[in-house]
Amino acid sequence: MKKIQLNYFIVASAIMLSLLSCKKDFVEITPKGQFLTANYYQNKDQCFSALVGVYDVLRKNSGGFENMITMMNAGSDDHFAGGGGSSDGAGIQGFSKFALNATIMPSSFWSDHYQGIFKANVLLDKLPNATMDATLKARFAGEAKALRANYYFNLVRMFKNIPLLTKPVAATDIYNVVQAAPTDVYTQIENDLLDAINVLPGTVPLSTESGRLTKGAAKALLGKVYLFEGKNSLAAAQLADVNGTPGSTSTYGYKLLANFSDLWVVSNKFNSESIIEACHTNAGNSDWGWWGSSSDEGNSVNVMVGPRNYTRPTGSTAADLPSGWSFNVFTQDFYDAIKSDPRFASTVFDLKALKAAGQADYIEGYQNTGYFLNKFLPRQSDVTTGAGTPVLNYRQDTYVIRLADTYLMEAEALGATGARAQALLDAVRARVGLGSVPVSLAAIKSERRLELAGEGHRFFDLVRWGDAAAKLSSRGFVAGKSEVFPIPFSELQGTKLVQNQGYN
Amino acid sequence: MKLKITLLCLVFFLAHLSQTIAQSNVVTGKVLNKTTNEPLVGATVKVLGTKTAVVTDSSGNFSVNLTKGSVLVVSYVGMNSQQKSVRGAERLVFSLEENAESTLKDVVVNVGYGTQKKSVLTGAISSVKAKDIEKVPNGRIEQVLQGRVSGVTVMANSGQPGSASTIRVRGITTFGGGNDPLWVIDGTVLDAGAIGAINQSDIESIEVLKDATSAAIYGTRAATGVILVTTKKGKAGKLSVSYNGFYGVSAPEKQLNLLNATQYAALMNEKSVAGGGSVLFPNLGSLGTGTDWQKQIFNNSANRYSHELSLSGGTEKSTFYLSFGRQDQQGIVASEISNYTKTNIRLNSTHKISKVFTFGQSIGYSHQKAVGLGNTNSEYGGPLSSAINLDPITPVVVTDPVVAASGQYPVNAIKDGYGNPFGISSIVGQEMTNPKAYIQTRLGSFDWSDDVIGNAYLEIAVNKHIKVKSTIGGKLAYWGSQGFTPVAYLSATNNVTKNSFGKSTNTTLNWNIENTIMYSNKIKDHNFNVLLGQGAYVDNNGGGTYASISDLPISSYEDASFNFPTTAANSNSSTYDLTIHKVSSLFARVNYDYKEKYMFTGIYRRDGSTRFGANNKFGIFPSFSLGWVASKEDFWKKNDFVKYLKVRGGYGKVGNDNIVDFGYLSTVIGGFNYTLGNSGLITTGYAPKTLDNPDLHWEQTTQTNIGFDAQLLSNFSLTFDYFNKKTSGILRYIPIPGYVGVSSSPVGNIADMQNTGLEFELGYHKKFGELNFSFTGNFATLKNEVTYVNTDADFINGDAAFQSMGPVTRTQVGQSYNSFYGYQTAGIFQTVADVNNYKNTAGGLIQPNAKPGDFRWVDANGDGVIDPKDKVFLGSNIPKFTYGFTMNFEYKGFDLMVFAQGAGGNKIFQGLRRLDIGTANYQTKAMSRWTGAGTSNDFPRLTTDDQNGNFTNMSNFYLEDGDYLRLKVVQFGYTFHHKLLNKIGASKFRMYVTAENLLTLTNYTGYDPEIGGGVMGVDKGIYPQARSFIIGAQLQF
Repeated sequence: MKKIQLNYFIVASAIMLSLLSCKKDFVEITPKGQFLTANYYQNKDQCFSALVGVYDVLRKNSGGFENMITMMNAGSDDHFAGGGGSSDGAGIQGFSKFALNATIMPSSFWSDHYQGIFKANVLLDKLPNATMDATLKARFAGEAKALRANYYFNLVRMFKNIPLLTKPVAATDIYNVVQAAPTDVYTQIENDLLDAINVLPGTVPLSTESGRLTKGAAKALLGKVYLFEGKNSLAAAQLADVNGTPGSTSTYGYKLLANFSDLWVVSNKFNSESIIEACHTNAGNSDWGWWGSSSDEGNSVNVMVGPRNYTRPTGSTAADLPSGWSFNVFTQDFYDAIKSDPRFASTVFDLKALKAAGQADYIEGYQNTGYFLNKFLPRQSDVTTGAGTPVLNYRQDTYVIRLADTYLMEAEALGATGARAQALLDAVRARVGLGSVPVSLAAIKSERRLELAGEGHRFFDLVRWGDAAAKLSSRGFVAGKSEVFPIPFSELQGTKLVQNQGYN
Repeated sequence: MKLKITLLCLVFFLAHLSQTIAQSNVVTGKVLNKTTNEPLVGATVKVLGTKTAVVTDSSGNFSVNLTKGSVLVVSYVGMNSQQKSVRGAERLVFSLEENAESTLKDVVVNVGYGTQKKSVLTGAISSVKAKDIEKVPNGRIEQVLQGRVSGVTVMANSGQPGSASTIRVRGITTFGGGNDPLWVIDGTVLDAGAIGAINQSDIESIEVLKDATSAAIYGTRAATGVILVTTKKGKAGKLSVSYNGFYGVSAPEKQLNLLNATQYAALMNEKSVAGGGSVLFPNLGSLGTGTDWQKQIFNNSANRYSHELSLSGGTEKSTFYLSFGRQDQQGIVASEISNYTKTNIRLNSTHKISKVFTFGQSIGYSHQKAVGLGNTNSEYGGPLSSAINLDPITPVVVTDPVVAASGQYPVNAIKDGYGNPFGISSIVGQEMTNPKAYIQTRLGSFDWSDDVIGNAYLEIAVNKHIKVKSTIGGKLAYWGSQGFTPVAYLSATNNVTKNSFGKSTNTTLNWNIENTIMYSNKIKDHNFNVLLGQGAYVDNNGGGTYASISDLPISSYEDASFNFPTTAANSNSSTYDLTIHKVSSLFARVNYDYKEKYMFTGIYRRDGSTRFGANNKFGIFPSFSLGWVASKEDFWKKNDFVKYLKVRGGYGKVGNDNIVDFGYLSTVIGGFNYTLGNSGLITTGYAPKTLDNPDLHWEQTTQTNIGFDAQLLSNFSLTFDYFNKKTSGILRYIPIPGYVGVSSSPVGNIADMQNTGLEFELGYHKKFGELNFSFTGNFATLKNEVTYVNTDADFINGDAAFQSMGPVTRTQVGQSYNSFYGYQTAGIFQTVADVNNYKNTAGGLIQPNAKPGDFRWVDANGDGVIDPKDKVFLGSNIPKFTYGFTMNFEYKGFDLMVFAQGAGGNKIFQGLRRLDIGTANYQTKAMSRWTGAGTSNDFPRLTTDDQNGNFTNMSNFYLEDGDYLRLKVVQFGYTFHHKLLNKIGASKFRMYVTAENLLTLTNYTGYDPEIGGGVMGVDKGIYPQARSFIIGAQLQF
């Protein structure tokens, strides 16, 4: 009897186990809606998608709370950090007061750029094996290299001592990476751009490819890189190709816009003055959940620089603006410098005066001066009517490099002397109806400050000219330290990286 | 309607079945509790020597078919059995006596894939029975466990009706998410979301498998504890009908003490002047007390209703249980946009098809609709956050036509019923909006869900020792939301110029199949019970869609419809598929005991999961435990102090696969988008998501449990457990350096953590004359410690962040998980001399920029400067102890139940105030701020230029003790004598009044010290739990 029971038990168990063995693949699934890295980068379409991923990081110029423009503005003598209070954005407030340390340094300025570099590195690694047209392949490689150069240029200017990676890091080597000499990084940037210049097209079809890098864009960037390296004659040579005859249309089709104010019209994208442009759209329906991430396509500078709780009494003639967060208000010093310049109204939104006149009201933010950054103020007409959070879906593109910038850079690279330098300076001034002044380094510096105000260039310019300590020591700038950011804390954890001087 | 008729037919059919046993030679009788003289429902009446057995009905009556001279044996859990021989056709009355010892002996506990007598149990399983919870007002199941089970921490996530709670069994088991216990309802593994669909009064019992020894039978996902829910089954006998209904009124327990208008203005003036600004409000005298925004949102008479009806009965062949439930509850905050309804229907039945085959099924359907505030426990808007932060100067409604016509109130400003605009603050901006106006914009927005949860099994009794059982179970869930956003101007920053209407629908079909073989036998004094099983589990099987259209030609949510014509530009939709998750299992269990004196349990389970790669797809989870009833030994001297003692202990291993899918692979994903061309359209970019980790393996939790069960004196029962639970290889995103360049961190096994604790459960029962008294209480301690973090990082930043402070918690070796981390204050600088005297060893000032009235920060590392390196651990959000107790008094027909629970030893982070809105209101605590030497040593000065970071630094200033004791339920009832009820044929009629959350003793100054969520104890304006007064009635036939 007992034996029979046991047999039942064994037989039943065997049946059950055999049931299970039929389902060997039960717990094997393959990913859907995504590809295995090993199988991707096969053809033109896949490589193009990967290239778009490399372009994606250009949004860092003006997308997300931690964007280049508002951050770099905050550390210049033209702006305060502003915002809602002394703690509204520890990173931007810290930079504005030169109180940054590794902990409050927003790590995205480091890691977002490295994400762009990683994506370029993977693409450059995989491209040779893709099945596609050779010319197109070369162009893709050129674009990836130029973008990589742009990201390294930002990194080396911000952090100076950075790892130089031109291939994806192997998992086993993650913690063995060391920092490169800044000169080596610059050499890599130069080589990447020189390679790119060889293969990039002179122009691209506006409707389908605007925003993609061209020969002119790579040359403008290379000129700028040389200028920052102090290689002035090399810089001037590259920039001369970009600029052509001052005031006229250059070989690559660049020309100053007739009206300075047209530069800040939202719909005026990819105009003749734009050389490298960071693109934004409301089509991403950006929302708080992924704000500042790869799929956030909105311009965040707009909402950040808008006045808080802006209202107008009935019948007011003041501009119709949505509200913002009052970052990057201008300093009184800058206001005084630009007050009588023709570019004043396009650059500064004088809400102090409007409020005094009873034309508008707002809630004063931190470090309020009442002078707001008009170039990037959010416009009621630009408020999205689509899905997503309206304040995160502004569409204004921003310039990474524009022609007035390359004019002034070339003039500077020429040593601020000579007829061409004079002509370049005159062209920038003439566009806004100003007469000629004798070209000099001082004149160029002054012109750059007023022409490019609020576009994120001033701090780098001051450091390059060696003027930063003089202009910023009252803010807490320490020479020999504050020229660069501290390396973010997370990068030092378990790695071989060494913190920048003065931040230990 | 059709459904209703079908159900009704079913009821009649089943009721008819129950009457077919009435035949000749029938003996009727009644079974009573000897002490209380109350009828015993569900007592087993067996004819000795035959297979005939019936169960008493809801009046304690039975009728049984027998031959003269038979002997009837009546037994009931917790009572001594009684025998009587039947001489004639007389009506028999059995009065059973309670037996303290037998309570332990005969209690049967669900152990997963079967039951076991508590007397031979060797693991740590806590049990809650139907009678323990029947007096608790109808709510969610998690709340039922709160304070009733030692070692289980329950914290409400919100006071919003229908909200889930955060449950932790024996502490936090893993980092990040995935700490919820595994829920098994009637043998079907379900996600926590299914719990809201179960009706409270349908529950027969809840068992919590706390230790690895018990839980290992659910191997894969058992590390966080397993909660088994068994729903009620019908019993053979007369049709039993039971109704329980109540009506209640809810109100908030307290309001925060916020500044009134005059106080506010004075402080804002002081703050502005201190920061170098101007006097903001020159005319203090004219302001009065201003607006009490809290009063505008709190409802002191929110309604709640509940109706529960059940029918059960059956024959020896077939039994059924059918129930219907309906709950309707208004929230206490902005009730218009905070309410909840739930409707349940359940049918459970069992059918003996033949001697060999038994078929059983249970199926429950629930429909829930929840209207929510839209934003709770968040400092970024919503009615609570706005009420706390808004200035008291802005009026609720603007009645002055001049102001109402000004530019501050555009056409789209929300107006009240008289056409006056609701006040818009020109002082406090951002997301803070007039809650009365905000409510208007949220009308017509709600979440809904329809769940069908069920299972069916076929059991084959091969012979009297072997049973084979196949079960299929699952959940079909539909859920979604609907919302209308009207054109509305709430403030300059909250301006909707185009209305929109959106709907989402999501579906999942999760299912599992299990096949088991059970062999049980008794050979002399050796009892064996062997279980072999196989299971397949599928969840996350489904997806959803969302669609919205905007610019509808309507102004009210009532008119919103997708049938309006729209354009491509005005419509938007998205769809997603979930990634399926599958687990395949083999398991075995052996239970053995000798004379119920020496016990052994061994469990083996092998699981495979889709979440791991080929290198580690399968995990093995064994456990064993031993028990010894010392009081049964011959050498144990019979004594009155310790009547029964069982010592038990065990060790086991369980797992967790609750991580992202495909963590072991490197995949290329979309979403790295950019805009190329001048069309403004997006081009999708692809890039590798992260690095692969082919060696990803199971997170393992090993647990040692040692405990005892004892009967002391004649009235006490005591259960004690000690546990040591160690999780190793915790699955989490590895924080790799940014220069690697991947956008998401890879997943790895990166940390170890340990939980230890003691648990006590005490019971006491005594009768004092006519007064029947019982007490049950439990107390548990918990110590959580992170024992290892991947060497690549010294710590992991916490999951809870507060505005610009960033993370306010940190996870580091030697500390408990997600401990609060920040600066330590050491009083306030009273004078300039104080600042100048705070020097480092080099003679320099430690806080050179500080002014009198600023915090003195502790220079924790002694390096002479205050910087982030001086941050220290400031306490844990995990309660160090939790407890609960219930007292029951019964005197004649009256009964009183008092249930209280509490927790303590934890800290709460109180982040109610927006840091970036300088003009946000303060609590009245600010009235005792520092205003000059000697005025305060704990609340710093107010200034708009807070260079010292008094308010912007994370510090102990933001932390408060979270200890509380809450009088959760007090119920007073009266049961009418059953003689009175016979006229209407009822067996029981009881009326009661209940007070829920009557009193909370705590020093915490926020709304509510009970703060659940991903990181417990972070208060950003939590929706407080309501205090309710309820009147109800129970009726049984």
